[in-house]
Amino acid sequence: MATVQVSEAEKVYILHGIRDDLRVDGRGCEDYRHTEIETDVVSNTDGSAKVTLGHTAVLVGIKADLGKPKPMLPKEGYLEFFVDCSANATPEFEGRGGEELGTELSNTLYKVFNNKHSVDLKSLCISPGEHCWVLYVDVLLLQCDGNLYDAISIAIKAALFSTKIPKVHISADEEGAKEIELSDDPYDCMRLNVENVPCIVTLCKVGHRHVVDATLQEKACSVASLIISVTQKGTVTCMRKVGGGSLDPESIFEMTEAGKRVGKALHAPLMDLLQQEERLGTKRQKVGFLG
Amino acid sequence: MAGLELLSDQGYRIDGRKATELRKVQARMGVFAQADGSAYLEQGNTKALAVVYGPHEMRGSRSRTLHDRAVINCQYSMATFSTAERKRRPHGDRKSTEMSLHLKQTFEAAVMTQLYPRSQIDIYVKILQSDGGNYSVCVNAATLAVIDAGIPMRDYVCACTVGFVDETPLADLCYAEEGGGVSSLALALLPRGGQIALLQMDARLHQDHLETLMEAAMTACKGVSKVLDEVVRQHLQEVSVLTGE
Amino acid sequence: MKDTPLANCERDFLLKAIEEKKRLDGRQTYDYRKIKITFGTDYGCCFVDLGKTRVMAQVSCEIVTPKENRPNEGIMFFNIELSPMASPAFEQGRQSELSVNLNRQLERCLRNSKCIDTESLCVVSGEKVWQIRVDIHMLNHDGNLMDAASIAAITALYHFKRPDVGIQGEEVTVYPPEERDPIPLSIYHMPISVSFSFFQQGTYLLVDPCEREERVMDGLLMIAMNKHREICSIQSSGGIMLLKEQVMRCSKIASVKVSEITELITKALENDKKARKAGGRFGFAESMPQERITALKKDETPVEMTDVTETAYDIVQKAEAPPQTVPSPVLPVPGMGQVGLGLQNSWGLEDDEEEEEEDDDSVEEQEEKVTKMEVEQHRKEQSSGDVVEISDSEEEEVIILQPEIPNRGPKNAGSSSDQKGAAKSKKRQTK
Repeated sequence: MATVQVSEAEKVYILHGIRDDLRVDGRGCEDYRHTEIETDVVSNTDGSAKVTLGHTAVLVGIKADLGKPKPMLPKEGYLEFFVDCSANATPEFEGRGGEELGTELSNTLYKVFNNKHSVDLKSLCISPGEHCWVLYVDVLLLQCDGNLYDAISIAIKAALFSTKIPKVHISADEEGAKEIELSDDPYDCMRLNVENVPCIVTLCKVGHRHVVDATLQEKACSVASLIISVTQKGTVTCMRKVGGGSLDPESIFEMTEAGKRVGKALHAPLMDLLQQEERLGTKRQKVGFLG
Repeated sequence: MAGLELLSDQGYRIDGRKATELRKVQARMGVFAQADGSAYLEQGNTKALAVVYGPHEMRGSRSRTLHDRAVINCQYSMATFSTAERKRRPHGDRKSTEMSLHLKQTFEAAVMTQLYPRSQIDIYVKILQSDGGNYSVCVNAATLAVIDAGIPMRDYVCACTVGFVDETPLADLCYAEEGGGVSSLALALLPRGGQIALLQMDARLHQDHLETLMEAAMTACKGVSKVLDEVVRQHLQEVSVLTGE
Repeated sequence: MKDTPLANCERDFLLKAIEEKKRLDGRQTYDYRKIKITFGTDYGCCFVDLGKTRVMAQVSCEIVTPKENRPNEGIMFFNIELSPMASPAFEQGRQSELSVNLNRQLERCLRNSKCIDTESLCVVSGEKVWQIRVDIHMLNHDGNLMDAASIAAITALYHFKRPDVGIQGEEVTVYPPEERDPIPLSIYHMPISVSFSFFQQGTYLLVDPCEREERVMDGLLMIAMNKHREICSIQSSGGIMLLKEQVMRCSKIASVKVSEITELITKALENDKKARKAGGRFGFAESMPQERITALKKDETPVEMTDVTETAYDIVQKAEAPPQTVPSPVLPVPGMGQVGLGLQNSWGLEDDEEEEEEDDDSVEEQEEKVTKMEVEQHRKEQSSGDVVEISDSEEEEVIILQPEIPNRGPKNAGSSSDQKGAAKSKKRQTK
């Protein structure tokens, strides 16, 4: 993670503030920063979303391609994640500098989505054992100000919501080989059910309390954090501890409960917003970066 | 044969433009707060994001420090979802390295590097959506980003890609036109002095047509420079309103 | 290994010479160095010598599966290797900026211009096509690698013959050269690149820069054309600003040069064909005993020798008499001698060099030899010259250090000015 240098006095200041449930920018310990979400930003893709969480900016593009299903799971499609930490975020990511962080983020995403319920993979199957849809989820990190996991997960959920996969017609050829036809109609498409797509909540332990949506300065004061991915119903799909410090079981339990609470509360307004955007349909003014 | 599709008899191109018409240019400066300078530019369907960090101390190999001017470091990369076919590597392949070198060369000519000895200026450009004219859009976006960062330049650097079909030069090619085997010329110009910072051409073109093609490119670049100038002035107005001057 | 840096005085010398329209090797601004093309035993192997720059190109072919989006076209692959043999600055394995630049420029020059008919390389559409691979190795770097590489590449492609292929139904047989004669590639045209280097912010321009000139140049403009006056590629590199008129002028010069070089290549190809037909010996190994490829052998450079004696005589006549460089020693104090007044001890090379440039326009080669000899003669002088002996003996003698130390200074300065003066007088004499 791109780091920022924090002096000892600043650390003490932040620590004391959090102890009294008051953070540097006035938020409470479980408040998120101002978030802006917009879908369908990149027209080349099948689904895309741009999320700005405070100063962290993330752009996700989803492309659906025809591919062969995995030999162990012939009746399902699959998702491929790729996180690109671009040099835009910080000069340290130039060249191959961002690769380490990128692989770490994509590995975590694989773990989070590695269950039957998050995304309905069976709906991505076209003909068992031969053809299926492969969703390439490409995450582009534009600005880095802490809390990357949350921003990425919100963006992925929004992008999956807006993904339009063209419907497929299978016709049998003369020789018996299957011919795949993609419908040309842009409105004849399949949408994904994103109800069970989890959102990731990062909780950083600062002092004796935990903090949601930490900025870079707050992260520099914390020794350990917990990453929890929570679905709308409150089920936890993946949990991970990152950071060099140690957490005692009591705090882990506390943080898990807090994470579940916050995660659950995150989904409802997100879905509302996405559906509102959808309802505007073609009348919506696409802003993108020009706003 | 390809020429017939690219330029109809009435003089209209595939997307309905006339031969010398540029695509719609929309730009915004100061998109990111963390970077020293940033800009976003859209030219038709090609979208590019440019970010400038600097001038700052030399990072990495200190041995590359120049005692009398600043080092300009560029990186060009494309988002994996930017092209119609998904790109697996955002940067590091030969084409991206070549583009980065060209950008570096273009900006070395334009930025007044003598004012910042022993320092480094980083220019990072990312293509979010690619629909032809990648290099030109990058240069235009990077110019705005450098201006946003407050680094002095000799002049705006404007770039345009022109092609030659049926004895007519077509300004600002889109992806479909570029791929049709059309001879394309990419030109980066400093409009006031008419100086060419970078000239690049592929595919065959008869020597006699070179002059007309270069003229068309220079006119197109001057058109782009007007748009960029307007964007900068507007941004300046907005910022001065916000800071209450 | 890092390249030896260029000294400031060398840089100034080169720039000044270019301003006066002179080049190190006596060429004119638009002249190319001598180009020599030799072929190897195999088809598709050729060596190109551009002055001292040496490049080898080798073409090979293989049957592979075609690309998915182009099922009935063959594949062309270019690779330029900057081997450490060529220059100590090149490192093995590392892709430096120069290597990327050269590779991309050659690719654009040859591939994008569609000089080779890739559809004729198709064997079975969608399954088997020929992949033609051109490998270019730099053997010696003396400037202008791009031009040498492009000449080598296109000559090797013209020279290459691929094995014949027979298709019977589903079976594809590749006939070895013994059974069926190999067939040459079908090439539409011959793109050749010409490099122009710019100096002093674009005021001066040179064609075919040598390595020293490349070091001091501001930027490079590469124009690739074929003899039908079609421009295949233009690329400007380095941070120079060009004007449209400059580009147009360069393209006109390029067309002239390209037609010359194309003729040379066609002649070389014909000669080789004749040699092979006549059954004579040819190829790289055979060139060695004939001393066509020796490292130490230098070509005789033609030097304008007419009325050298007259011009030299004129110059000597018009030159001033050498100044009084042998002042008589002064004895300020018994036991101590002082020669000279103690001039400033500047190296004074700038004055010397300017004088060299102004004299003798046509005898540059001799000039160089003179300066080399001068250094050797210095040492000879020290043993035989009258003047210098005094200073020598002063240093060897045990001298009682007088409290007036400043006297020592002028003495040494005096001796060095003596040596300079001796050198000058010696130079005048050799002229």
